[in-house]
Amino acid sequence: MMSYEQTLSPSAAAGPGELQQALARAASEARRSWLTMLLLLSLLALALPWLANAYWIKSLISAMALAVAAAGVALLYGQLGLVTLCQHALLGAGGWVALRLSHGLQLPFELCVLAAGATSCLIGMLAGLPALRMKGLYLALVTLMMAGGFQVVISATGFPDGGEGWLGRVVGSERLMMARPALALSDAAYFRYVVICLALVLSLIELHRRTKAGRSWALIRRGEAAAVSAGVNILLYQTWAFGLAGFCAGVSGALLAGGVGQLDGRAFGAGDSVMTFALSVVGGVYHWLGPIIAGLLMRAVPSLLSDYNVSGFLADIFFGAALLHALITAPQGVAGQLVYGLTALRRRITGRPA
Amino acid sequence: MVDLLPFLVSGLGIGAVYALSGVGLVVLYRSSGVLNFAFGALGAIGAYVAWSLLDEDWPQWLAWASAVGTAMVLSLAYGRLLAPRLSHRDPTIRSIGTLGFALIVMGFTEWYWGAQPRRLVLPTDAEALEFADVRLTYTRVLGLALALAMMAGIGLLLSRTRIGLKMRALANDRDLSALLGLRVLQVDTVAWVLSGAFAGVCGLLLANIVRLQATLLTFLVIPAFAAAIMGRLNSLPVTVAAGISIGVLEALAITVPGFAPYRTAVPFLVALAAILFFRSDARKA
Amino acid sequence: MIELNQVSVAFWGVKAIDGLTASLSAPVCGLIGPNGAGKTTLVNLLSGLVPAAEGTVHVQGTPLLGMKPIARVRFGVRRSFQTEQVVEDLSVWDNVRAVLDHVPHERASVPAQLAEILDYTGLTSVATRPGQQLNLFQRRMVEVAKALVGQPKLLLFDEPGAGLTEQESQLLRAAIIGIPPRFGAQVLLIDHDVDLIKATCTQTLVMDFGRRLALGPTAEVLEDPDVRRAYLGT
Repeated sequence: MMSYEQTLSPSAAAGPGELQQALARAASEARRSWLTMLLLLSLLALALPWLANAYWIKSLISAMALAVAAAGVALLYGQLGLVTLCQHALLGAGGWVALRLSHGLQLPFELCVLAAGATSCLIGMLAGLPALRMKGLYLALVTLMMAGGFQVVISATGFPDGGEGWLGRVVGSERLMMARPALALSDAAYFRYVVICLALVLSLIELHRRTKAGRSWALIRRGEAAAVSAGVNILLYQTWAFGLAGFCAGVSGALLAGGVGQLDGRAFGAGDSVMTFALSVVGGVYHWLGPIIAGLLMRAVPSLLSDYNVSGFLADIFFGAALLHALITAPQGVAGQLVYGLTALRRRITGRPA
Repeated sequence: MVDLLPFLVSGLGIGAVYALSGVGLVVLYRSSGVLNFAFGALGAIGAYVAWSLLDEDWPQWLAWASAVGTAMVLSLAYGRLLAPRLSHRDPTIRSIGTLGFALIVMGFTEWYWGAQPRRLVLPTDAEALEFADVRLTYTRVLGLALALAMMAGIGLLLSRTRIGLKMRALANDRDLSALLGLRVLQVDTVAWVLSGAFAGVCGLLLANIVRLQATLLTFLVIPAFAAAIMGRLNSLPVTVAAGISIGVLEALAITVPGFAPYRTAVPFLVALAAILFFRSDARKA
Repeated sequence: MIELNQVSVAFWGVKAIDGLTASLSAPVCGLIGPNGAGKTTLVNLLSGLVPAAEGTVHVQGTPLLGMKPIARVRFGVRRSFQTEQVVEDLSVWDNVRAVLDHVPHERASVPAQLAEILDYTGLTSVATRPGQQLNLFQRRMVEVAKALVGQPKLLLFDEPGAGLTEQESQLLRAAIIGIPPRFGAQVLLIDHDVDLIKATCTQTLVMDFGRRLALGPTAEVLEDPDVRRAYLGT
């Protein structure tokens, strides 16, 4: 049996015991990160309804719903380096399905959410298939085209609001609001419901990241050669990632529809998908905190600005600059910088070595 | 066929702008490796500058010059100040950076001038050519002529001048060109400025043809992307042909019963079809 | 045991490998030749990245050419590349685990298998470090470790020793020689370092212009006048 520990790192001649310890430490850190996420979201779910007024709780519902979509973007970009510029369009598609099923068939809310997720999952996978062998830039363009196409279609058809027929549009009489789940009729309750969904989605993604899928995605990101020589089925894992990101978008759309009650066909332009991507990157694509920050940026910042009578367009300037900043100097986004700062602080306090 | 003529002509008008935008995008991509998502936004801000000047009764030629100049200056600013900070990253990121720039320019435009749609009325709109049920304002004639001139000009520049040769060399192999002593910065500057000029002209024409509104103009660049993709981000003649075809098809789509509200989806459909059919050329290296 | 029979590989009309027939039976077999001889092409052929225009390949009796690249990895053909392919943000443990994910293995014994391989390649002390913190030698050993998971049958190493110091090269040699008795796999080794080949390979195939120039015990092959003329320059 060969053993090179003495020569490779003379100060750390490690035996199997130390390896076990190191692995256990790594595993517990992962677990701790996940529990921190649950704790943070629990705090938000409990505290925010008390602290926020009626207007703000509605904004925060949307923010948390959008965070789910941002999680999908972060997955594709952070794990696979793929740029998707149609996430908001997929969100719209999911929202459309949820609204149509809810108004037309009176299905329970959860089923509508799952159906929305499944629909956008499927569309996402279809979008991803041609991406398999494409230069990253072409994927960005394909998704931008899809977003543009969706914009045209949804502006013309609008969202279902209680009517008959394929499009489910009501003519003349009052437009319906989407039925919320029986347990979550009030805004405060619905906010908690959305946060729970967000926690579930983020947990699902974390589970992927820490297991076989995450490792396979990392290999694909490294390069086709690395992935193939490790036996990774690139088609399978890449399509799966697209599907999961699409699922996030669809669920997000359904949650948004439930929160706002109605969706406006004029609010799903290509620009919105671009903004979703930009803010997901700014929020941070390598950590679960990123999508939460992205959701807040997407909805809470504009609300904040209008509270202070500042033009929302200044937010656009800020977001554009933030994207450039994130790309140039801080690729891990706000979340990454926060986590890095907190970890450094913790090390200094506890005195633990690197 | 006579019925279709007005649509054909109007399609040619907007198709020429798509073609011109496509050329502006491809020339820059080939020289610097960056696909400028801010192309439309640069055109938009140029158009607004022209609108402001015309509103103050400044002469038309000054308005045109300022529009194009604004776009050129901003394009140059990005190309020399921000693009180099991303030059070592992969091609997708370098292009995504221009998305950030687009948001900044678009946000500023909407903040300063407001988001309500306006008409960009140019003095050349007053006169028009009329034949066989078709009315072509002088602006459109000028636009078409300008488009043809610029496309021919860029073709000549690339094939007959030294700077054009350098741009082609850079497009072919950036690192090798640098090693061979090509002044990359100098050529880059020319590429960004030229692209900005195209953006400015296209912005003015589109604002005149459609309407003056920042978000609309920014994303009206997407059909130009469609044209550029069909040229495989490489061939200028194909890009031009594609742009014109997309414009014409989009206009003709109005005549298809029931399809009219969706006709602006034509560029996207065409582009998607092109990408799917030309997948083999879009493969990773 | 690798059996190549009249194998040809062509790229745009140029024959990178031309009618190659050889039986490679040594536990550690060397593959040398001047640049452009077709060595990496042969490894690419064996791992499935390029197709054969003609000929057959058998590894331990199983025909290889019908198998897709991923299937070959599962079958037991593993390779390393000239530029190492370590994933920067995964730990060493995860880097190696990633390969084990995709080959037949027993779930229960995964930690034990990985621990054994990391111990063999001397990576135990850096097991939880991310790839970006490794030095070149550690990265190359990670490549070796990745190839060793899950009962491999044939390991193809493409210049694994490039850039290593003399001491590190010795360690690599010892690791390579130890693979057949310890893991039961055959090793095919490409390298320009003749000393490494002499020290590790009992049999060597010399290629030139896509053809077989010589095949036999390493010492004999290196003395062959044709080989000396073509490759060693004497």
